[in-house]
Amino acid sequence: MSVQDLILGLHRFWAGQGCYLAQTYDVEVGAGTMTPDTFFRVLDKRNWRVGYVQPSRRPDDGRYGENPNRVQKHFQYQVIMKPSPAAIQDIYVQSLRSLGIALEDHDLRFDEDNWESPTIGAWGSGWQILLDGLEISQFTYFQQCGGIDLAPVPVEITYGLERLEMFLEQKDDIYDLDWSADVSYRDLRLREEKEFSEYNFTAASVTMLRQAFAASQKEAGRLIAKDLLLPAYDMCLKCSHNFNLLDSRGAISITERVKMISQIRALVNDIARRYTGGKDGA
Amino acid sequence: MEFLLELLTEELPASHIRAALEQLEAGFRKDLLEARIDIRSLKTLATPRRLIVAGDFAEGQEDREEIVTGPPLAIAKGPDGALTAAGKGFARSHSVDESLLEAIRTPKGEYLGFKRKAKGTPTVEILAAAVPRILGALSFPKMMRWGSSPFRFSRPIHGLLCVFGGAPVPTSFEGFQATDETLGHRIASPGRIKASDLASYRAALEKSLVIIDPAERKKMILAQIEAALAPLKAKAYPDAELLDDLTLNVEHPLVIFGAFPETYLNLPIEVLSTAMREGQKLFSVVRDKKQLAYFLGVADAPGDAKGLIRRGNERVLRARLEDARFFWGQDRKVPLGERAAGLKNVLFQEKLGTYDDKTQRLKRIAGYLCDKLGAAEIREDVVEAASLCKADLLTDMVKEFSGLQGRMGGLYAKEEGLPAAVHQAIYEHYQPGSLEDASPASVAGAILSIADKMDSIVGALGVGLQVSGSSDPFGLRRNAQGVCKVALDRKLRFSFPLLLDRILGIYGDRLTVGRAEIKAACLDFFGSRLRFILEKRGYRYDLVGAALGPGVDQIVDVLARVEALDALKSSPQFEPFILMVKRIANIIKGLPAAKVNPDLLAEKEERELFSTLSIVSSNAQPMIARGDFARAQGIIFKLQPELNTFFDQVLVMAEDKKIRQNRLGLLQSIAKMLLGIADYSQIVVEGEKSAKPKASR
Repeated sequence: MSVQDLILGLHRFWAGQGCYLAQTYDVEVGAGTMTPDTFFRVLDKRNWRVGYVQPSRRPDDGRYGENPNRVQKHFQYQVIMKPSPAAIQDIYVQSLRSLGIALEDHDLRFDEDNWESPTIGAWGSGWQILLDGLEISQFTYFQQCGGIDLAPVPVEITYGLERLEMFLEQKDDIYDLDWSADVSYRDLRLREEKEFSEYNFTAASVTMLRQAFAASQKEAGRLIAKDLLLPAYDMCLKCSHNFNLLDSRGAISITERVKMISQIRALVNDIARRYTGGKDGA
Repeated sequence: MEFLLELLTEELPASHIRAALEQLEAGFRKDLLEARIDIRSLKTLATPRRLIVAGDFAEGQEDREEIVTGPPLAIAKGPDGALTAAGKGFARSHSVDESLLEAIRTPKGEYLGFKRKAKGTPTVEILAAAVPRILGALSFPKMMRWGSSPFRFSRPIHGLLCVFGGAPVPTSFEGFQATDETLGHRIASPGRIKASDLASYRAALEKSLVIIDPAERKKMILAQIEAALAPLKAKAYPDAELLDDLTLNVEHPLVIFGAFPETYLNLPIEVLSTAMREGQKLFSVVRDKKQLAYFLGVADAPGDAKGLIRRGNERVLRARLEDARFFWGQDRKVPLGERAAGLKNVLFQEKLGTYDDKTQRLKRIAGYLCDKLGAAEIREDVVEAASLCKADLLTDMVKEFSGLQGRMGGLYAKEEGLPAAVHQAIYEHYQPGSLEDASPASVAGAILSIADKMDSIVGALGVGLQVSGSSDPFGLRRNAQGVCKVALDRKLRFSFPLLLDRILGIYGDRLTVGRAEIKAACLDFFGSRLRFILEKRGYRYDLVGAALGPGVDQIVDVLARVEALDALKSSPQFEPFILMVKRIANIIKGLPAAKVNPDLLAEKEERELFSTLSIVSSNAQPMIARGDFARAQGIIFKLQPELNTFFDQVLVMAEDKKIRQNRLGLLQSIAKMLLGIADYSQIVVEGEKSAKPKASR
């Protein structure tokens, strides 16, 4: 089985669960949770089921292509089911079986892990899913997003595609994975990892990143005032990515880090509040 | 009759299970006691997906005799003794035969009434109401909602098995009707099973690969570990907390015994065991205190015939150790001294500044302590350790495994070839993590540990951070107990109030609360922590109160005082002496201070008391000063005969005001000297009653 087969398998499975299959979002994000198909759709009252692949950028995890496990960009398969179905754990277990994993021969564990993302004012309760000790998914009952209490409660399941694929192919090196029958992860990603690690850690211009952060922040505020909430949210995502890059450049002190995260969160919370009708808080 | 309840849920965190079991047991005990249902046995069990209550209860309440009273006899019966209209009306309204009516004597007079048997309520009815109430009242460290309901619980609920006397109790909880069914192991045997009592439930679940008793699962884990390690003559590194958590993480424990490449044994044992424990909940394997290239894990599965679980865990651990080896290599490229410069960018606390600010304070506090403790020979090393001890916060290893802070710095300092006192002090300066943890083994480590903790405590209280009930954001209790433990364990003599003055001086105007107020708060706080520690060591609360009475000057003296009191408490002189001291305290209570003028001592008895006091006092003072309270106390007992004679022969409240004042002054100087040893008035002796003050946390 290749990464491609894995994606096709998950698409098929979750489409069968009534999910709409979204296309990858086109702004850099640190996690699938941050894209509008999750962020905005969990806020309102409408039932929602979606599945999609989202590249997740974490500049600080770059290892110049030299570490067999860590990369500065990896792929997540993101599922949102709102409201959370009563049988969601069983459905998740079925999804693993549908990929051909004979769970009877393995140790599948729901290990307490309460996910949170201070940048977008979000947190939930749930587990990291361990398969023979390997974390393959994050399973979260979303409680709050953009500082708003969520009702109905969505469940978010995030598969780490590379992790899962390494398990399926029984490989120890991420670059040895097959993306398709004749294209390897190395073919696709190694050069990108090397160059972006160099960019993230040394080449990125701190001055430019600071300016970009400030510009996006200002633009977000301006757009919020015009009630253009989706474009404003894109600006917040840009802030978040620029912040991550500044962080990996080692340009942010701990004090500044707290300040910048709370600046982004304030904008995001404001967007969430207006999106839900402005009745909460403020 | 047998009662069995199982709440089937999604995987509960171990800490939530512990909290729930305690509340369940207490809830059933309370509700059944209030309902007058006899409890013959009651216990709780659990797996990660099940909260279980099993008991043996009476079938119902006992039948009781009830007295029903009606109108006063004078109204209910006429002068002829026949029932009046009111009396007849009472009988009618209760449908009771008039012949059963009788006079009921009450404190308010005689009334017409009757006795009847009240049928006890069956237990099943009581349980039907109690079960949803008790389950609904469960509270967890963190609660969540799911689906479309506003209900909050630890994790989503999937079923309620609840049977009494073999049949389901007619009740429900959050939409789940109680049944006599549940599910087996999620992966290994997920089918539906039926159970009517604990024995059938236990057996059916065991067949479905679920062991319901945590104690039994723990036994299985320990037995499997032993079997795996016996051929190697090795042992699992003991870790009770990890074992308890794992026991609550699995329904069917299977010990996985795996290996990792020996090359990783080059990593420090601290790093290896932390990578295994924190990252993957694995036990380390040791032989003769040396780490071996094996690990033990606990899976939730009936077996691992194909070895896939073992190989999977080995692969994950190898990746983790590879990361650790990368950090170990990278971190050592930058000396700690160079790294410490970066602490300017790391915030310690908003108002208290950065870790660099803290480092500068630590150097001065640690230096001061060296001076006071007469540790001149290590002063330079301790100050160097202080300047480097926080640098490891900036290493990759500590960023990955925060629990290694301090220890990592010590290891890196050793690698750099710094003197033993320096790297050991850095290594030990977070110790002790708790009262059960060991104090630093080196003097330098002990000094740095105290300096670090005191800086945090004074700073936190100085900017108004409070410790209350459950909230202690800065870990001040743990820190203060750490300071006390180190001082007591290593018998360090330094004046605590003077140390506070010094630290307040070093903080300067950074603190927002007034100095006198901070100092008083610290003294009070340490008093309560010392009380906690000493009571925990088993000393009587009133002796601890007496030992704390003179205040916290030398921390070690508080222990010495209570030890002395404890040693003397059963001596025959003790009780009469305490009573005498209390008598003195009562006489002089609230009086203005008076001085003794030896020339005014009129009677022989008071002159003798005065001269004994002078001798006793001049002998005891040096002993008190060096903390030898056992001997000081022995000496002051010598006052007893003179005091007895004094009280027998001399009238303290003499007519002559001057003489009276002088005698009171004499008693005051005795009381003052005694208070240098202990506040004896707090000690409770036979025949006295005193409520134990509420224990402080």
